[in-house]
Amino acid sequence: MKLQDLSISELRGALVRGELSAREIATRTLHDIERLNPHINAWTAITAERMLQEAERIDALRRSGQPLPALAGTPWAAKNLFDIAGHTTLAGARLLSDRPAAARDGYAVRQLHHAGALLSGMVNMDAYAYGFTTENSHYGATRNPHDPGRVAGGSSGGSAAAVAAGAVHFALGSDTNGSIRVPASLCGVFGLKPTFGRLSRSGTHPFAASLDHIGPMARRVADLAAVYDALQGHDPDDGFQAERPLEATAPQLHRGMEGLRCAVLGGFFTTWCDDEARAALQRAALALEARDELQFPEAELARSAAFIITASEGGNLYLPELKRQPELFEPNSRERLLAGAMLPAAWYLQAQRFRRLARQKFQTLLSRADVLIAPATPCSATRIGEQEMIINGQPLPPRASMGMLTQPISFLGLPVVTVPLRASNGLPIGLQLISAPFNEQACLRAARALEQMGITDARPAEITP
Amino acid sequence: MTTEQQEAWLAAMAQSLEIELDDARRAELLARFSHIAAMAAPLMDYPLDERLDIAGVYRP
Repeated sequence: MKLQDLSISELRGALVRGELSAREIATRTLHDIERLNPHINAWTAITAERMLQEAERIDALRRSGQPLPALAGTPWAAKNLFDIAGHTTLAGARLLSDRPAAARDGYAVRQLHHAGALLSGMVNMDAYAYGFTTENSHYGATRNPHDPGRVAGGSSGGSAAAVAAGAVHFALGSDTNGSIRVPASLCGVFGLKPTFGRLSRSGTHPFAASLDHIGPMARRVADLAAVYDALQGHDPDDGFQAERPLEATAPQLHRGMEGLRCAVLGGFFTTWCDDEARAALQRAALALEARDELQFPEAELARSAAFIITASEGGNLYLPELKRQPELFEPNSRERLLAGAMLPAAWYLQAQRFRRLARQKFQTLLSRADVLIAPATPCSATRIGEQEMIINGQPLPPRASMGMLTQPISFLGLPVVTVPLRASNGLPIGLQLISAPFNEQACLRAARALEQMGITDARPAEITP
Repeated sequence: MTTEQQEAWLAAMAQSLEIELDDARRAELLARFSHIAAMAAPLMDYPLDERLDIAGVYRP
């Protein structure tokens, strides 16, 4: 029996019955990572000692007959912008590699530790979280487990690849403009970007505070919901967190599509993608009985505004180091960040004010459908090093444009679950299931419905050395 | 903004932020800035009500 064949709930059940020990899960996971990582370059650090200690805690609970927490014995990986006690938080950047180690775990990591999950290590990302391909010039490109010649997507590419390879049950990523949804789409796993402000971001290295989210990726919807539920909690250290009580989503999944109205999000979203993405959209729309196509005419402006906010806040964040030691920045990002630091304030403020208007306008769409379906990426994964993809007849750079369909939605701050389908060439391609603020359960239920109908495909990649 | 206006803006910003740039970096900076300026133009043309505030987190 492979660990990857068991859901989080089944893994916990096997622990409770004594069929597996947490130590066995940890050692098998570490062995799998040792075998798989040379092929995908996902992990930048492996926390073997910590993982075994966390496993021992779970086994001790089991031996003493105490109840096991919800994620007991579940192996996972963290994007390397989450603080992990005793390790330097890299955020994919050589610039940060000499910083002191984190004094304690970030909030989300603490939540997962308390829930019994076993941290396997930290995984690769685009430097500073500024990119959609995880072609990291210092730590190397993370390879797509379904085709190692292709990108994993980004910026949480290591997280998606680790899950898609079947080495861990879930991973944490962050999403400013699409950094959970893009790699989830390209690597063929489920991803959840919750409502802006829903989950605490404290103890993560920021990029653009107005837009940063965190969230999980997994190969099963039930696992995604279980991890999301464990991540919820009030954190007084996060000034951006919305005041919202805990709302468990896992118990809602059995409701399926009960009472949910779905519609396709057209216009910009079906124009800027290829035929494979449109075909995937049609399959899901048919399955979810989404007969109406709704338009968000401000989508392109929303993307532009997100681009400006990101550039300005990211540029401002790194301005002191851009002045002090510009040679430590990777060439792909240095002038991009500097340009952002030099934007006129009028552009930034116009983008922030437009954000409120865009939210108001999108609310009209959400009064007509509970779940909106749109492609997550314009196409499947491009080849590593590829500088152009042709979308809608135009050459676009994958590193900056693979997130063009996710940017308008995170700009609005809406919850999204990315579901993995397959293109005709066998490569994964994802769709976004978008809902109203704090209605994560609706996205998850629609995702679960697609999973049960066999429309989605999140089988782990077969990696043969 | 014309290219000349962008160059002038960036030169002023580099001076005020005390950032020294060689020709290669200046050219790359201009390319990046021009890309964002093209996105900003239609956004700046979009009429917003003067009482429209910036967005915050959603309220439950």
